[in-house]
Formats: sequence, C-alpha cells, structure tokens
Amino acid sequence: MAISEFSTPFRYKTDKSSPIRWLWSHTIHLWPMFVVAMLGAIGNAALASVPPLEFGTAYDTLISGTPLMHVVLRAAVIIFISQSARGVFQFFRNFGFEVTAQQIERNVREEFYINLLGKSMTFHSLQSIGDLMARATNDIREVNYIFSPGINMVFGSINFLFIPITVGAAIHPSLILTPVIFLVLYFLSIARYLKILEPVTRNVRLYFGALNSRLAEDIDGIETVKSAAQEDSEIALFKANIQAYRDTSVQQGDIEARFLPMLLLALAMGFGLMHALLLVRQGAIGMGSVLTYFSSLSLLGFPTNTSIRSYSQISLGLAGARRLLSVMNMENNLDKNDEGHAGKLRGEVEFSHVSFAYTSETATLKDINLVVYPGQTVAVVGQTGSGKTTLARLINRTYDPDQGSVRIDGVDLRDWSLDSLRSQISIIEQDIFLFSKTIAENIAFGKPGATQEEILVAARKAQAENFINALPEGFETVIGERGVTLSGGQRQRLALARAFLTDPRILILDDSTSAIDSQTEDEIQKAIMLAAEGRTTFIITHRLSQIRWADLIVVMKEGLISSIGTHEELMDTSESYRNIFTEVQ
Amino acid sequence: MGFHQGLVGEAYDRQYSNSALLRRIWTYARPYSTKLWLMLITIILQGVIGALPPVLVARVVDTGQVNTTANRLLIILVLAVLVIEVLGYVFYYVLHRLLARVTADISRNLATDAFSASIQQDMAFHDRYSSGKIVSRITTDNLDFVLLIQLTVDVLGSVIQSLTVGVILLRTEWRLALALFAFVPVTMLIVSVYRNLARRVTREGMRAMANVNANIKETISGISVAKNFRQEDSIYQDFKTTNETSYRVNYRRGFVLSIVFPTIRTIGGISIALMTYYGALTVTQGLISAGAWYMILLSSDRFLMPVMSITSYWTQVQTGFSAAERIFALIDAKRTVVQTGNYVPTRLEGKIDFNHLQFHYATGGEVLRDFDLHIRPGENVAIVGHTGAGKSSIARLITRFYEFQGGELTIDDRDIRSYDLTALRTHMGIVTQVPFLFEGTVEENIRFSVPGISREEILDLSRRIGKGEWLETFSHGLDTNVGERGSQISMGQRQLVALMRVLAHKPSIFILDEATASIDPFTEKQIQQALNLILEQSTSVLIAHRLSTVTSADRIIVLAGGEIIEEGTHAQLLASGGNYAELYNTYFRHQSLDYVEKAGRLYSSRHALNPE
Repeated sequence: MAISEFSTPFRYKTDKSSPIRWLWSHTIHLWPMFVVAMLGAIGNAALASVPPLEFGTAYDTLISGTPLMHVVLRAAVIIFISQSARGVFQFFRNFGFEVTAQQIERNVREEFYINLLGKSMTFHSLQSIGDLMARATNDIREVNYIFSPGINMVFGSINFLFIPITVGAAIHPSLILTPVIFLVLYFLSIARYLKILEPVTRNVRLYFGALNSRLAEDIDGIETVKSAAQEDSEIALFKANIQAYRDTSVQQGDIEARFLPMLLLALAMGFGLMHALLLVRQGAIGMGSVLTYFSSLSLLGFPTNTSIRSYSQISLGLAGARRLLSVMNMENNLDKNDEGHAGKLRGEVEFSHVSFAYTSETATLKDINLVVYPGQTVAVVGQTGSGKTTLARLINRTYDPDQGSVRIDGVDLRDWSLDSLRSQISIIEQDIFLFSKTIAENIAFGKPGATQEEILVAARKAQAENFINALPEGFETVIGERGVTLSGGQRQRLALARAFLTDPRILILDDSTSAIDSQTEDEIQKAIMLAAEGRTTFIITHRLSQIRWADLIVVMKEGLISSIGTHEELMDTSESYRNIFTEVQ
Repeated sequence: MGFHQGLVGEAYDRQYSNSALLRRIWTYARPYSTKLWLMLITIILQGVIGALPPVLVARVVDTGQVNTTANRLLIILVLAVLVIEVLGYVFYYVLHRLLARVTADISRNLATDAFSASIQQDMAFHDRYSSGKIVSRITTDNLDFVLLIQLTVDVLGSVIQSLTVGVILLRTEWRLALALFAFVPVTMLIVSVYRNLARRVTREGMRAMANVNANIKETISGISVAKNFRQEDSIYQDFKTTNETSYRVNYRRGFVLSIVFPTIRTIGGISIALMTYYGALTVTQGLISAGAWYMILLSSDRFLMPVMSITSYWTQVQTGFSAAERIFALIDAKRTVVQTGNYVPTRLEGKIDFNHLQFHYATGGEVLRDFDLHIRPGENVAIVGHTGAGKSSIARLITRFYEFQGGELTIDDRDIRSYDLTALRTHMGIVTQVPFLFEGTVEENIRFSVPGISREEILDLSRRIGKGEWLETFSHGLDTNVGERGSQISMGQRQLVALMRVLAHKPSIFILDEATASIDPFTEKQIQQALNLILEQSTSVLIAHRLSTVTSADRIIVLAGGEIIEEGTHAQLLASGGNYAELYNTYFRHQSLDYVEKAGRLYSSRHALNPE
C-alpha cells in the first residue's frame, strides 16, 4: 500500500507505470461508452462503403442496353437506408467518445486531486501552486482531447483506410495493391511528419512563451521601463523576440504545407484509376467496378485530412498525461504513523544536531541545537534564506531532518502519530490563505462544529472583532474573489482567531505583514501576545518589538544559529544584533 | 457599424467604419501584395481543379465504354487525373507556404506596432487600464485576427470549388443541379440553428469549467492550511461537487455537439439516394450519359460540404474584425503628455520648482491647486501626509508621467515640457513602491538603466553596502536569476537591487516612492545604508514610509489636500506638536525604538503577573 497522509479510496485502481497503461486502466472501467463509441466508429466506416458498391451495380444496369429501373431503385433505397443508419452510428461514435472523454477528465481530475491531498506537506511547500494548477486544469484538458477529438478522429478514420482494400479485394485481388501501399506509406509518412514537427512546435511554444512573458513584464513594469528611459531598447528586444517567434512559425507552416499523406492520396487516386482501367482492358472487370473502386479510393480523403491534427492532439495529450503521472508518482516520504505516540502535548521542543537540505547541493540547516521549554516564546530572526521558515517547518514534521532529531516532550517526531502531533500544532503561514467563504466559516475551519459564541470569543481575542463588525455583513461577510478583500493585518488576525479556536499547544507564526499605521500595529501586538500566552510559541518575525519581548531570540544566518539568548544577552554579545537596535545616522 | 459582441470594452475603444477598418487592414497587407495575389491565383486554381476529377472520371468511363478505338484519349484522360491530383497537392503546398509567411509577417508587424504604442503610452493610460488586458490585445486579439486570414483562405477555396462544381452540374443537367441546390438552404438552416444551440451549451460548459478551475485554484493554495487542521476531507467534498457538476454540464454539451455531423451526413445520404434514382432516370431518357450521372453523384459531396464552412464563417469574421478593431484602438489611443521642445541636457543641477501649479487626474477632482514648491540642487525633501494628500502626484509630475493643467513646473529653471522626454528621464532615478525586476540576473537588473557599467564597478558599489554581505545572500551572487518579476528573491533583496540600480546610475534627481512591505531588520539596515549613499549624490524627493527615511531628509513637507501645511526638520516639526506630530503618531510611532522598548516592558510586566 502506498504511503499517504490522506487516504480516500479512488473509484478504482489504476496502473501508473506509463501514460498509455494509465489511460487504458481508466478506459476499461468506462467500457460501456467506449464500446458504444468503437462500434459506432466501425459501423460508420462499414456503411460508408455501401454507396460505392451500389453506384457500381446501378451503373452496370444503366449501360446494359436494357436498364432495369427496379435495380436502380433498390440501389437508391439501400443507399438511403445505409446512410441514415450511418448517421446513427456516427452519432454513437461522436457521443461515445465525447462522453468517454468527459468521464476520463472527471475521473482523472478526481484521482489527481485525491493524490494531491495525500501528498506530504513537504511536497506542497516545495511545489509551485501555479504549476499544480496548470496540471490540474490544462493538462487534464489535454488528456480529455486525446479521446475527443483525438482517438475519435484517428480510430474513426483509420477504418476508412481499409475500405478500399476490402472493396478492391472483392472486385479483383490485385486491386488491393494501391490501397495497401498507401496504407504503409501513410503510416510511415505520418510518423515522420510528427517526428519533424514535434521539435518545431516545441520551439514555437518556447519562443511564444519568451515573447509573452517579457511583454507582460514590460507592461506590468512600465513605470520601471519609463523611469529608466529604456522604451527603445525594450521595443528592440520585443522585435527580436517576435522575429524569432515568426521564424519558427513559418518553419512550422512549411512542415505542415509539405504534409506528404496529401501527395500520397493524389497518387493513390491516379494510380488506382489507372490500375482498374488496365484490368478493364484485360476484360478482368467491368466499368461499374471501376466506379466502385474509384469511389472507395476517395474515402481515403477522410483519414488524410483529419491526420493533420488528430495525431498531434494525441501526442500532446500523452505529454499531459506524463506530466500528471510525474506528479502523482512522486515519492511521499512521510506517513501518518497511526500507531505512533499520541497524547496531550506539553510543548517542550528540542533540536539536537539537526541538519536538513531541500536539495542535495546545499544544506539549508546545519547542526541546529535548541531547547525550548513549555510556554516559552521564541523569536526567530534572520535574513531571507537564512533557514528560519525551514526551522519552523521541522517542528510540525513538514519535513524530517536529514541528520539529528527533533523531539517534542522528549519523543522523536518520527515516533509521534502524525494526526495527534499536527492537531496540537498550529502554523500561521506568511501568506495567509483564506477560503472564499464567510468569515465565521474561515475562523471555524479547524473546528467545524464551533458555536457562534466560540467564534466570537476567538475573534475578540485576536483583536479582530472590531473590523469584522465594521464589514457589511459582519461575521457572515464572504471573503475572496466574490467577496471583500482584507488587508494583510486583517488576514493575520483572522488566522490568529482560527488558532485561538483550535487552542494548539504549539503555535508557529510566520509573521511578515507590515502594519501601515501604529494603531493596527498595537492591535496585532496585543493579539499575538495573547496568543502566545499559555503555549509554546515560535514567531518568525521582522518586528523589533516582538523580538524585544520574546523569552528567547534565535538569530539565524545561512542555515546556522549565529546567536541565541535573551535580548539583554544578545545586546552584550552580538554586534549585528546591537546594530539593529541602534539608529542609523 | 463596428463589430462588437458584448465584450467588455475599454474607454479608449472606438468604432471604425467598415471601410476605415478594411483600409487599415490593407495597410498591413499591402507590403505583401505580391504574395497575396499569388495566393489568390493559387486559391482559384486549387478550387477549380478540385472540381475536375469527377468530370474527368466521367469522361474516362464514357470513353472506356465505347472502347477499343479510343485508347489514346483514355490514356490522356487517366494521366490528366493523375496530374490534376498531384497539381492539387502542389497548389496546397505553395498556398500554405505563402500563407504561413504572410500571416506570420502581418501578425509580427501588428504586434510590434501595438507593443510600441503601449510602451510609449503615458503612465496615466497604464494606471487606468489593466496590464493583462493590454497584453491580451497584443497577443490574443492578434491570434484571432490571424485566424481570420487563415479561415478566409479556406472558405475562399471552398466557395470557388462549390461554384465550379455548381456551374459544371448546371451545364450537365440543370434539373438535377437545381434539385441538389435545394439542399443548400436546408443545410444552412440546420447549421445555423445548431450553431446557436452549440454556442449556448458551450458557454455553459465553459462556465462549469471555470468553476472547477476556480475551485482548484483556491483549494490547491488551501491544501497546506487544510493539512494543518486535518481538514482534507472537507475541501475534497467541495471539489468533488464542483467536478461532478462540470461533468454533467459537459455531458449535455457533448450530446448537442455530437448531433450535427450525423444530421448533415444523413441529409447528404438522402440527397445522394435521390440523385442516384432520378439521375438514372435521366440517363434512361438519354438526357445525360452514364458517366455524367456518376460525375453528379461524386460531386454532390464536394458541393454541399463547403456550404457548412461558409455558414459558420460569418461569426469568425465578426470575431476577427472586432479583434482588429481592438488592436487599432490600442495603437490609436490618444496621449496626454505632450512635449513642446526636445532639449537634451548634458547634466542637470537638480533644481525643481513648482509655480502656481494646477493638477487633476483625468477622472476626479483637483489634486494640486496653486501649488508652490522649490527644491534646491542637492536637497533631500521628504513628503509626508495621509493617503490622498497628493504625495505621489508630486513625484509623478516631476518624472513627467502625468500632464498638469496650469501653472509651471521647471527643472533647472527650464520648462519641463521643453525637454526631450527620454533625455530628461536618463537624469532621473526612480524607485517605485513595489520595485520591479525583470527576468534575468541580478547584474542585468542593476545594469538596466546604465547599460555601459562594468561588472567591477557594480561589485565596487555592492561592497559599499554592509561590506557587500547582501550579495552573499544570493545563491550565485551577481549571476543569480531573479525570476519573473523578481519572484525568486525576497522583497528586501528586490529593494536593494532597485536601489543599486540608482547607485550605479548616479542620476541628478532621485525620486523614491518608499515600499511599505516589512523586511527583516538586518536587510532593513542595509537598505538604509544604500539609501543614504544615494541621498549624498542626488537631489531627492522621498515619499517616505520609514521613520529612518523621514529623519534623514533635510526638509520634511507635510501635505494635506494638495497643500503644504507644514515644513521643517523632523526635530523641529515634532517639537512644535502640530500636524506632523499627529502623522508621526499615526504612521511612524511603532517604528521607533521607544515603542519597541515599551513593548518589551509591557510583556515583562504581564509575565510578572502571570508566572507560569
């Protein structure tokens, strides 16, 4: 069984070893519609061969000196019935593939989502949200397009390749020659076409991406461009970028213009007709058969025309599937450890000789030693990239250290039940995320059954009550895209309210909002002081006032603890610390 | 009339008459007129010969039937079929090569014009219109327009083929031809009814998709929070509902979209069945040959299929034309900042004078009225005041981002309007509130305003700030990639790079709209150092949000309602206990060390009251 932090079973088991196997393992569970689609495709193609045959029959009687109109009428009726039935089959094909595509899209998205929920915090803090978004939306769309129009067109049209072969064989065995040669060359030339086209389209996308991102940067940063009086050089850069894009687009256009199956079709029609007429001259077949044969050859136009797009559609979709799989198959290094240590947490945190690196190149944390007693407030200070956030993330086991150990209440985190551990630790992130729901629902997020009273008290302690009441609908105001936007300080206080409600034993606060005015600053100070009371609290902070009142100050520099102690101790021992508490003149 | 489809427009949008629009489009097409004529010829040839194979095969059949004597004619006809089929491919090839070039060139020229116009537009324009929408005019609308060219070529080819087939049919047997023509309105009707239906379900489908995307966007960002509180299941249920709804809507859409082709196919089948029978009747009456009968059957598809593409073409024309209209509107948008001269200064002293200046934004009331401010060369002036007091307006007038309406603004006693704009700005260093960096290295970004500066000079300057320690915090020093918009480095680092830009540039006038983002105290110190270095070398106008910046200015201007209500040094103003003292209490008090010490004492006393 896979190791996972969240396990809701997906509808069925899938094989994630390769894109094709994976899609197939989805498809077999959606077999009813898929079978309908396949039958529709086969029926449609089979019935497409009826008119050519009937033309031949009708022609033969027409030129026979004594035309039998009932034979012609029979032919017309057969054409009428077969083509109406063909419409029905075509509908089954289109609808079947379309529904399969939609089902696949829904299921793949669900599977992907469950997989994401099961990934560790490590994964989520490393993965860019934009990238995951793109996969969950665009790539899954591309997978949908594999089936409709992709396979719909490919499978639907491949059947047509075999019609002239069967029709030809029925008339005279040698007539399969042209369609068989066409079939072979058709596949070879499409394989070659795709192979040549692929790197060029990749370049087109690449150059377009480069063009577009610089363009967007220029317009967004227009003030910077104007300030530096660099309009002309940016226009020159744009021209160079768009010329590169133009050149690759033309290159792509040339490859598409040269599309060989088109020529093959032309040759097949010509040589096929020639061959059939030769047979007429030898008296092997009649003129009616020539018509039948020629009409069936023109059915090759369908697979030829659709193949310009449909094969690249499938290969794009498979690339999307590969990207999805690469995320889904990513290692999940933490597990829930349900049998581990569980119990009420006191809040003693100890790091001993902890080292940690995100990538193998450089260590983010080096030999960290730290002891924090229950109830203490620790300020973690340092420049961006000094390892402050990583240090905090080791406390709730977002990551496991590479060396050394982190212990809470004397128990190594790896021996704790993840559920028990995390439910008693609250993290307030730097970018505070609120759902597009009401304020009350957002506060109660960690405790779904919370009463109105509890929510109110939490908001009050977080110094959020006043601004919430000033909002149009108070606690029922909806936040986010469709609702009001809140300032950084307000969001932070809502997150604090959340924490008051869940009453964690350890609170980790990544505090980097800046107060525009002193009044807000006063309120945030007060809220954080209240929140720190009675629990172990880690504050990653830029605020001198918080550093000033913390029980313990940890100064981080390039992954090391460069100094540690109380404010008074650091003022004595550290020059850089003393500097920040001195006015620059 | 213009071509608008209820898209939300911008105030600068205008409607061009059809003839003006076509003339404008023609100016972009004209440089490629030779290629375009060649294309037209190819399209006509392709359309005509596309209609020929059935005719030739009909002749083959008729000739072959007479047999024996006509051997040579038969060979010629068969070769003609082969040649025509191959020529069809050659025309296809030539046409698509030409098309690729013409569309790529026109698209490039249009995009370049649109981009140049946008980048040269006033700041007033950019402040008013979202950058995303401008970008989408330069790229998306451009693609829509190019698509129109491609579709026009396709449809033109189809029409010519249809017409040729129509003429041939009429000449062969006009009664049968007319019967076939009767299917045209029927097909058109079905296609257009279907199109309306398809548009509705597609819109619903897209809306459902948008909901799924919005849900995913929100919940993926919220996954860490959900994990924090072990609430994975609740967000999963939310997602599942939205996903399921989207599936149901798209299922319906799939049903509607799957109907049209089979319907057309069935109509085509009926028409062929009728042609087979009634055509055969005319053969028995001796009106046409059996070959001609067969030709009509083969041609009917070639006649009816193009009708479908023509029917859906009109919407594309509308989309393409309104895209063109939007691009032209962007190119033609009026500018407000107009220079009267083009004086190029070799250097500036940095004397700035506002005399009785009047200013208001395009929308909204007066910001500055009868405003006077005189800044001496080399002076550092900090401007403070509540939001909306007009601080930024002053900075934006000096940088000539905005046009003023009355009075006078002079730089070195010369009207600001008489300068060459680019030359003037090369003597200014401007740091915006959110420092903007471009994708590229730290070094490239520092060099942005001074392309000529050497790496050594940049390194020298870097060492003057905190002994160059800040550069060590980058993983690859000056070669570190800052990411798109500088996203790979911290806000503090971005500010340092923006200040380094100005240090390297050594402008006569320095304008700072100070950032409000909070920065770690160590970086903050370095930013102060960098700032102080710049203040030594330039005349500075500082819209200050940091206490340390205000205190380092030579003179503080207190602004309210577009008027100067107090001025002096920090110490003087604070002592007088007026408006500045009030501003200090609102915005700067919490930045003072005094406040910090008080917080420390407050907490210690609480601790004393509540021992653990």
